[in-house]
Amino acid sequence: MEFGFTTAAYVVAAVLFILSLGGLSGQESAKRAVWYGIAGMALAIFATLIGPGSGLWWLSILLIAAGGVIGYIVAKRVQMTEMPQLVAAMHSLVGLAAVFVGYNAHIELANVMSMDQEAKYALDGFAALLAKKSGVEIGILRVELFLGVFIGAVTFTGSVIAFGKLAGKVTSAATKLPGGHMLNATAAGLSLILLFIYLGSGAMWALVLMTLLAFFIGYHLIMGIGGADMPVVVSMLNSYSGWAAAAIGFSLGNDLLIVVGALVGSSGAILSYIMCKAMNRSFVSVILGGFGETGGPQMEVEGEMIEIPVDGVASALNEADSVIIIPGYGMAVAQAQSAVSDLTKKLRAQGKEVRFQSTPWRAVCRGT
Amino acid sequence: MKIGTPKEVFEGEARVAMTPDSARQLQKLGHECLIESGAGLAAGFSDAAYEEAGVEVIKTAAQLYKAADIIAKVRPPSDTEVKRLGPSKTLISFFYPVANEELMAQAAEKGATVIAMDMVPRISRAQKMDALSSMANIAGYRAVIEAGNNFGRFFTGQVTAAGKVPPAKVLIVGAGVAGLAAIGTSTSLGAITYAFDVRPEVAEQIESMGAEFVFLEFEEDQTDGAATGGYAAPSSPEFREAQLAKFRELAPDIDIVITTALIPNRDAPVLWTKDMVEMMKPGSVIIDLAAERGGNCELTVKDEKIVTDNGVTIVGYTDFPSRMATQSSTLYATNIRHMMTDLTPEKDGVVNHNMEDDVIRGATITHEKEVTFPPPPPKIQAIAAKPKEKVKELTPEEKREMEAAAFKAQTKSQVTLIVVGAVLMLLLGLVAPASFMQHFIVFVLAVFVGFQVIWNVAHSLHTPLMAVTNAISSIIILGALMQIGSSVGWVIVLAALSVFMAGINIFGGFLVTRRMLAMFQKS
Repeated sequence: MEFGFTTAAYVVAAVLFILSLGGLSGQESAKRAVWYGIAGMALAIFATLIGPGSGLWWLSILLIAAGGVIGYIVAKRVQMTEMPQLVAAMHSLVGLAAVFVGYNAHIELANVMSMDQEAKYALDGFAALLAKKSGVEIGILRVELFLGVFIGAVTFTGSVIAFGKLAGKVTSAATKLPGGHMLNATAAGLSLILLFIYLGSGAMWALVLMTLLAFFIGYHLIMGIGGADMPVVVSMLNSYSGWAAAAIGFSLGNDLLIVVGALVGSSGAILSYIMCKAMNRSFVSVILGGFGETGGPQMEVEGEMIEIPVDGVASALNEADSVIIIPGYGMAVAQAQSAVSDLTKKLRAQGKEVRFQSTPWRAVCRGT
Repeated sequence: MKIGTPKEVFEGEARVAMTPDSARQLQKLGHECLIESGAGLAAGFSDAAYEEAGVEVIKTAAQLYKAADIIAKVRPPSDTEVKRLGPSKTLISFFYPVANEELMAQAAEKGATVIAMDMVPRISRAQKMDALSSMANIAGYRAVIEAGNNFGRFFTGQVTAAGKVPPAKVLIVGAGVAGLAAIGTSTSLGAITYAFDVRPEVAEQIESMGAEFVFLEFEEDQTDGAATGGYAAPSSPEFREAQLAKFRELAPDIDIVITTALIPNRDAPVLWTKDMVEMMKPGSVIIDLAAERGGNCELTVKDEKIVTDNGVTIVGYTDFPSRMATQSSTLYATNIRHMMTDLTPEKDGVVNHNMEDDVIRGATITHEKEVTFPPPPPKIQAIAAKPKEKVKELTPEEKREMEAAAFKAQTKSQVTLIVVGAVLMLLLGLVAPASFMQHFIVFVLAVFVGFQVIWNVAHSLHTPLMAVTNAISSIIILGALMQIGSSVGWVIVLAALSVFMAGINIFGGFLVTRRMLAMFQKS
């Protein structure tokens, strides 16, 4: 199919993605927005499948369908309360995919560079694109795919740990290996050195070693962040994978990948920032794994929580003159809105004052 | 240590500072208890009851003062009683050191330690020994009972076969401990109860007791009780006028007035003037709990009950707690017992008079031949929370200035960012090839769009948004799709895996988002 058609489809898909993200800022438009996102994704995949550079489209469709079935079943079955960790778990897949795509670009590049001039002309698709690149462009390409792999790897292990913390499989306390942030800094420094080595030689070992380091950084960075900050972390990892996608978009010369990657990257970053603001947490300290955290424990809980049974609540409500209801994630999960509204009506009918208090920080912590 | 309680010498005083129950508790602290014969009789405690509780009954007061190390009593000591004190003796009683300065000096001279129960600081730790509060509570209750006794009608409204009875209207002035107790008693008897206090923060307490707060329209920085340890402070003449005007408005309707307004160490303010009394209906009752300090009502006669020409009964008794001697003795004895618990922290019968302790220091007015009154301010301050400092209203000019300054700062930072960004771009453009720059423009624009789009997202939609960005980040599948047609085997395998994983995320991600959003839908 024509290259022009693919580009046109990409433009439409990009607009749909922007509308999708924008639409989610309001509750009513959010319903529409999800469909924009789905349509955008479908269009993007369709256009890529029939566009230049792709092959084995039947295999691709088969794989997408198979993955889709699994994703559908998992998402359908999971409990409402387990949604945040599911997002984290699925996100690790995106990180891993980014690593693989980066490696592919490397392998293909090595392959193409070893060919002679005539063989290059015979190539098509992605390889052909690579073949046309000049020296400087190959240098830039290496930086891009190196970055893509690095961010993808951090996202992968980071998401796995975030999932573990949210699911309660990994301790939710902020734990660090001895050496703390110095370990992260050293690993990041080594990765930078490896970048230059890779830039000069294009050696596979540098790429692999860096991937391992990045895996470690992702693991250690997120281990150092407390469980309560995990929603912010997931959103931040979203943003990371967006940047990874954008970096890989550069190496593949795919504009849609760049646009959507940048969209996801920036919106994820801003979202994490807003979430931190809502929870009254320092953004920098959260994303860098408690870096520069001097406050120690987050907040001392004063007093004692005393649980009372249902009839205790009932009699307390009966005797109360003024009631404040603080709806949380649990209420939404239990679909208790109408029950709560009945209760409110009943209490108001008895001449009691019933008010609602919204708690953004709690909503964010619990993942609503 | 031996704790002794003499018979109260004050005329008509029926209370006693030790009950058989409190004596048992005191003995658990390691103390021995003594009581003067007949001391508890008026409060309903016989000598036999004391003996049964293990208290030694002593014939005369003189013997008791000699035998006991600690004297616990109710009323401030008389001259003779002070003379009986000595260097090793401790006296625990009400003392009113401001009014009885001479007596205090005398006691100090004798070398006795005096702990004044009326000087216990009003902090939460000391509430259990706050005898003023426990006595005020009784006074408040008794005031309503006394009013009912002198009032010829029901408190509660009734509709009977013999006719309709309107409910009594009760006004309670001053919502301190006594006032609140009076409100509680009055409302539970069924009267329509109004209450007034100069401290606006007690309105909530008044309403929680079931009375109606008499709201005064007055623009002034009313002093908060928190600044004066929970007590009312004197109000300005203008405020007083407004207050009196309000009372004048209410007076013709009110059947029973109970005044409890006291300001520490001052004469009681006159709040119910002669003309208000004259406006009241015949048969109405005024109970003046402030009679001891001159009374809140202009016509009050201390310790007496009078009936005015227009048939209004004014009760000026000052011994309400004594009129309920059993109850007040029980509570007071418990207050004393708590004080002793604090004084004997080891529970070994040895008094440790710790002058570092806020409560003990505050209540001690003479110690080791020194007058230690007034005490330094307690380290722990305030009962009620202080009101929040009001943010100063800015004048329009100041506002405009601030806006202009903010605008300037914003412009400055934006311009700096743009300049820095542009320079970086130019530097990049010098080295990077054109093909890269083309993509780069797209990238930068997309980043901007992302920022702009997300800024105003609603709080509740953070998580769905997170889920949708996750789903969209599966766009990485495009890269894999472009590579899957490669001729290298490894590339195909890795690309296929990527496509598969991204596929999971696309479907799972969007579905999760939809399920989250479904929770917000109105059903």
